[in-house]
Amino acid sequence: MFLTSAGVASASPTDLGIEVPESDVFVASPQQAKKTVTGTVEDAMGPIAGANIVEKGTTNGTITDMDGKFTLDVSPNAVLVVSFIGYIEQQITVGNQTSFTIQIKEDSQALDEVVVVGYGTQKKVNLTGSVSSVDFADQALSRPITNVSNALAGLSAGVQVMQSSGQPGSDGSKIRIRGVGTLNNQDPLVLIDGVEGAMDLVNPQDIESISVLKDAASSSIYGSRAANGVVLITTKKGKAGKLSVSYSGRVSYAQPTNLIDQVTDYADYMEWLNESFENIGQPNHFAQSTIDLWREKSKDPNGLNENGVPNYIAYPNTDWQEALFGHGLINDHNVSVNGGTEKLRILMSAGYLDNPGLVDNTGIKKYSLRANIEANVTNWLTVGTRTFASQEDKEAGNFDNANNYLRQTTPGLYPEWNGQYGYPEASEESATANSILAFLNAQDGKKQKTNFNTTLYSRISPIKGLSWDFNLNYKRYWEDNQTWTNPYEKVKFSDGTIMSPATEPSEMTTYFYNRADYSYTLQNILRYNITINKDHDLGALAGYEEYYYKRDTRNATKKGLIDSSIHTPGSATEMLSVGGGAFDRASRSFFGRINYAYKSRYLFEANLRHDGNARYHSDYRWGTFPSFSAAWRISEEDFMINTKNWLDNLKLRVSYGSVGNNGGDDVGEYEYQSTYGGSKYPFGGKLISGLASTSIANSMLSWETSKMTNVGIDLNALNNRLSFTMDAFVKNTTGILFTPSIYLTAGNKGAPRKNIAEMSTKGVELSLGWKDQIEEVSYSVSGNFSYTPNKIKKYKGKLVAGYDENGEWKSNIGDVASSTSAVNPVIEDRIMKEYYIRNPYKGSGKGYAADGVNGGPTDGMIRTESDMEWLKAMIDAGHTFMPNKTVSKDKIWYGDYIYADANGDGIYGGSDDKEFQGVSSDPKYNFGFQMSAAWRGFDISMNWAGAAGFKLYWGASTGYNSPTTRVGVALGTDIANDHYFYNPENPSDPRTNLYAQYGRLVNGESGYQNVETSSLYLFNGNYLKLKNLTFGYTLPAHISKKIFTDNLRVYVSIENVFNITKYPGQDPELGAYPEYTSLRQFAFGANISF
Amino acid sequence: MKLVKNICLLGASIALLTGCNSDLMDLTPYDSIASGNMWTTENLADMGVTGIYNVLRSENVAGDLHKFDSYGVSADYRDGNYSLLRGNATTGDGQFSGYWKINYEGISRCNDAIMNLPKAPLSESKLARLTAESKFMRAFFYYRLNMMYKGVPLYLEPAELDELVKGRNTEAEVWNQVITDLTDAINTADLPDKYAAGNADYGRVTKGAAYALRGKAYMWTGEWAKAEADLRKVGDLGYGLFQGEYKQLFKEANEQCEEMIFSLQCIGESGYGNNFTFRYGTRSSFGSCWNTYLASTDFVETYECADGKPFNWDDFIPGYNSMDQAKRSVYFLRDGMTEAEKAKMAEDGADLSKYLADGNEARIRMAYESRDPRLMATIITPYAEYFGANGATAYTYTLRWPYRGFDTADPFDLKTDTNNRYYYLFRKFVAEGASEIPNREYSPIDIPIIRYADVVLSLAECLNEQGKTDEAIEWVNKVRARAGAALLNSNQYTQVSGQDNMRERIRNERRWEFAGEGVNFFDEMRWKTWHETKFKSGAGLKQIWGSMQASYTWGGDYLYNWAIPKSEIQMNTNLTQNNGWID
Repeated sequence: MFLTSAGVASASPTDLGIEVPESDVFVASPQQAKKTVTGTVEDAMGPIAGANIVEKGTTNGTITDMDGKFTLDVSPNAVLVVSFIGYIEQQITVGNQTSFTIQIKEDSQALDEVVVVGYGTQKKVNLTGSVSSVDFADQALSRPITNVSNALAGLSAGVQVMQSSGQPGSDGSKIRIRGVGTLNNQDPLVLIDGVEGAMDLVNPQDIESISVLKDAASSSIYGSRAANGVVLITTKKGKAGKLSVSYSGRVSYAQPTNLIDQVTDYADYMEWLNESFENIGQPNHFAQSTIDLWREKSKDPNGLNENGVPNYIAYPNTDWQEALFGHGLINDHNVSVNGGTEKLRILMSAGYLDNPGLVDNTGIKKYSLRANIEANVTNWLTVGTRTFASQEDKEAGNFDNANNYLRQTTPGLYPEWNGQYGYPEASEESATANSILAFLNAQDGKKQKTNFNTTLYSRISPIKGLSWDFNLNYKRYWEDNQTWTNPYEKVKFSDGTIMSPATEPSEMTTYFYNRADYSYTLQNILRYNITINKDHDLGALAGYEEYYYKRDTRNATKKGLIDSSIHTPGSATEMLSVGGGAFDRASRSFFGRINYAYKSRYLFEANLRHDGNARYHSDYRWGTFPSFSAAWRISEEDFMINTKNWLDNLKLRVSYGSVGNNGGDDVGEYEYQSTYGGSKYPFGGKLISGLASTSIANSMLSWETSKMTNVGIDLNALNNRLSFTMDAFVKNTTGILFTPSIYLTAGNKGAPRKNIAEMSTKGVELSLGWKDQIEEVSYSVSGNFSYTPNKIKKYKGKLVAGYDENGEWKSNIGDVASSTSAVNPVIEDRIMKEYYIRNPYKGSGKGYAADGVNGGPTDGMIRTESDMEWLKAMIDAGHTFMPNKTVSKDKIWYGDYIYADANGDGIYGGSDDKEFQGVSSDPKYNFGFQMSAAWRGFDISMNWAGAAGFKLYWGASTGYNSPTTRVGVALGTDIANDHYFYNPENPSDPRTNLYAQYGRLVNGESGYQNVETSSLYLFNGNYLKLKNLTFGYTLPAHISKKIFTDNLRVYVSIENVFNITKYPGQDPELGAYPEYTSLRQFAFGANISF
Repeated sequence: MKLVKNICLLGASIALLTGCNSDLMDLTPYDSIASGNMWTTENLADMGVTGIYNVLRSENVAGDLHKFDSYGVSADYRDGNYSLLRGNATTGDGQFSGYWKINYEGISRCNDAIMNLPKAPLSESKLARLTAESKFMRAFFYYRLNMMYKGVPLYLEPAELDELVKGRNTEAEVWNQVITDLTDAINTADLPDKYAAGNADYGRVTKGAAYALRGKAYMWTGEWAKAEADLRKVGDLGYGLFQGEYKQLFKEANEQCEEMIFSLQCIGESGYGNNFTFRYGTRSSFGSCWNTYLASTDFVETYECADGKPFNWDDFIPGYNSMDQAKRSVYFLRDGMTEAEKAKMAEDGADLSKYLADGNEARIRMAYESRDPRLMATIITPYAEYFGANGATAYTYTLRWPYRGFDTADPFDLKTDTNNRYYYLFRKFVAEGASEIPNREYSPIDIPIIRYADVVLSLAECLNEQGKTDEAIEWVNKVRARAGAALLNSNQYTQVSGQDNMRERIRNERRWEFAGEGVNFFDEMRWKTWHETKFKSGAGLKQIWGSMQASYTWGGDYLYNWAIPKSEIQMNTNLTQNNGWID
């Protein structure tokens, strides 16, 4: 991280990608004296070491030093040719100038791209492991992303990025590297400038680059935390030279991407509700007169009722999805200052993000500051700091559970009028139908997250090739939430009656929650590099690290406020509750690396980490994680000389290594220790402390281990226009930390976590890119794809189910499955969390035959009289149809599903009839696709991301996807528009719909035939999204100079442009039960530097 | 030299930073105590036993007795969809696993205490008392298991996880163990007979509780004489019927009265009160509660008239019984209906020709006001008042139909979650006014688990089963006298005609006396009358005039023996399932 890698194809020790400290200086000797010019060669990332400077037409030349500096004596009218592998060659006329700052531009398929790797950097061509890197600065500059993780979607093979919510402040993405390989925490280790941290705390604008370490060989230097891959984030640093100021800012208009439609016409709603009562043999709930009244008033929405209230308010037809999810204007502004002298380099930045989101009272404002400062105290000592602080202020709207409240309301109340909230208008309507807006605003206050993170470091280079880094990081994190009752009234607008008066101050509560974390990380790293006999390059690294983290929380609620505007806990009268807790974490590690290269053709690397973690008993605390990798650059071989004209690089990589996973937040800190926890009870009217054994400990708990083998090919051809990378890997994880289900007879005690399961993930990753220029149009196209299936290799034994000699069905499912009720239990030999649920019955469509068994409805739904006859005959013949067993309007009726009898015991839809569905909620395929083109100052780019091979279980929920109804609860439009109806007493009823997609409407949320857990509610989640589309224009330099800027670019960018999917819910990327829609943003932005 | 100096300085600072933390990785939890230290002091021993009592708070023990009441005859679940009542419960039903699990949790805490209390430095008398309490509690949990599953595995010592694979003991073996543990408790001299009201230990197990529970256990085994002896003993130890008004028995002031033998101790603190107000109350109760459970319409009709005459609608409204259910809703309409309301009600089927514009409410009130006083003390009936609250202000509400609203203004209609339905609501255990409880989730009023009226009526049952019907009548009359109901054998309606008639009367007496208390379901299961009472033809969740909202379906007699939880059988193949259950 403090190292840059030098690179020139000629004989330099740095050629091999071995990390060399910056102080390890080597300067070419000056040539003949004519005129001395000096300068610095740099690119967007900073000074370039090892760049070639040649006087055109001569052999007079030099290379830049570690700081990108050069000095060269040239003839007065010389032209300098500056070149560096992987960069576009530049020619500069010397003229009268003697000092130059030469910006060279990367050739995007650059072979000499420098990649950040564990505890160092390396040239991409010299990598032996599987590492992908993202040039993040480009993403951050052009896309209206509100946090770092979301920007990574689709950019890298084998890196799955899925956003789970659009809610400001919790809209980060879930990242999975190379699929899922464990049953617990699957989040990659995220290191920000070498220190573990939360990705989304970093201001996107401060990030220089992101590397993803995918195979065990690259990540094993991080030992027991690296099994899910490692994401290395490197922030920008100061560069010596002119001080420059950059501003980047944008304003974006945000709207919901997709909402679940619910019936908004209240008259229709009431009719359908009545149908659901009728279907189960109950009287209508809503009077026809009420329905007729609504229909009539809806024709004249602006007419006034007898109290002068407009009909659209007095007889509402509310669209609650729209009432909740509006639109917002997001502001994002950043300023940074970069520059300094040889001795002192600084980067300072400030950022401001205002994301009001789509929903009232749930927005955030985020402020961030950074100072990265580095000083060369002497020629052997460098010291520096990277200090970062941020604060997020979030509005305290009560959004939790909003989707549930959104379900528990009807079109029959008006949202908000004159600052008051609506109340159900029809007398039949449930008095408790919610106003989601009232609910949202029932709570006020503030939620603040503050983050302070500083690293002080020093680097000592006592002798050539040797360096010692000492880093000390200190972090604090505070959460400070204060919320209080926000009084409101609910009014029946039609006549102005206050149906629910505002809470009185004496009943208001005030709540606070504080969390304070601190941690330190301490690192010592020694590095040594040497070249022996020109052909042998050897590097070594040894390090020590320790880490301690502590979290404290406390909270209290008090009731009885002086006034609704006074909220301090001290001013409230009655104590309701006080709570608090604490935990800590610690780890200690030793690690090392050796690399060796021979003639830059054969590359070898070995890593070792010895890790101890306080989570485990001292006997099981320490683990050792080795890895080995090698690469063969075939294109460098003599026998490949004939291919040089088209083949730029061909490399074969092989690696094998072992890494660990400590379970992250999924594993408790003290689980190996058997303890008694609080268990109080009052005696004599007073609460008395009690204790009970609350969990069963496993003192042999330890981390899990993944062993990964990786084979890869890198190819660059046709003058680097074509690039291709392919990796194949096998990852076997053993000792997976999991809590198997235990006997109910053990009581409430938490089951012991064990290192019990084994999993295997195999995968293939492909990246293919093409970049070229046609006349003035430069363009690039790239795509990536990964396939990462997994399988549980071992859990608690094989599932054995079948009939015993007595003809009785026996199954050991309870023993070998992690749960008998979950829709996706963990079972050996299956995909991890594969769905295991009932299927609807599939019959021949024929009636009841003598053997009976194969007749009946083709898709499981009793649709026709013939289906019903079959059902009755089957019941008479002794078959049982679970769960409702008998034929009647409130049990099994026309428009109800029956379930398959998978085990053939005559019980249809019994719990032994669950079947594996061959799929889980984890995508097997992930892909991304990027295109960009530029012509003169104009540029356009797009980014596609998608996933396939997964399904989501979106269980029956009234108001969204279930044909069940409840008074006071919504009705999904899809259900309303295409549900079954048949009344055998009146087959010509106009509502008859025998071939509907959904079952009949029934009143009551549970117990009915159609809401059983079954594959009816399992939906294909495949999607392909156009994540971003950007058009930009950069002012030509001569014009921007005139307005005193070095660079000025304006752009329009659309995020989440559209989504191609068949999934019926909100957005498959958000999962089955989304709470907050993702945002589509139309951004206008500008980047200016001067 | 400078270089060396700097290296030394840095080296020293590293040593400082690492050296200070030589125990960096030996971390222990901040909020619990290591197992090895448990049971080593008197304080820890006390806390270990308190931890057993804590289980009483749980669901499926005493925390949700309202749910068990809805399994019995007196209450209905508002959504009417409990699988046990719809006849489609399977062995995987959460009811069976939840009940099994929490009772075994209690048992494991008891076993831990019984085994380890001797290790603690306790006086002999304290050790004896704590052991007796623990044994009572173990008996209590096994009693609960055996009532439902009829034979469960017996674990009497702390067991390792892999030892929890025993097969089922027989029902008789489990009753035997219950009786053995209770006998040990009874024989412990240091176990107090009774704690006086206000005692700091009030709420702990007493000898009175042990006798009462043993008596009830003997009733399950049909050993009437033994049961009789134990139940008689309870009165000797100082317990008796509360002599105030029946309704006041369920108020905080009387939660430690002489009637309470063993009750769930509640205080007004989050997590340590009862939530009966929340589940039985209404939107007009303090804290805006949910009428999750409703008083059963069929059950209300069983309450006798005050003179003991069986209630008959036709006595109050001639022709009521033969009328169509929707039509007779007219009798429940409020006075002074608007034309719009009338039109709406007519549309819903009410026979408005029977509407008395000025006296409709008075007519229907008569049907309730002349009844066993326990009816109106337990249940909010049409046009009865309820002293409720909105926010911090108390108001008196009235249960009217149709509902018009007005939480804080005249006419103060009682607001429920089901305003578009007319149901009977619970009054018992529901907070009144705005200051009786601090929060709907934690009322400070203790919930009786065993009270003396239960002992009295159980005693009457034991006597009657032994043919001592006359003596049984005396005991029943104590309860009726307190309630203000006509005494048995005091008039033509209350004339006991024999042992069978007396059995029926005792059973009904228990249903009325304990309505809402979660007692009845276990009675019906013991009497094997659940089918004929809860699932009689046409049973279900009904509006007051009888319109069905959700019907109940009897699954079969196998329901008298609950299913051994499916997942437990699948994990422990030594367990066998009760007959009749299918998955």
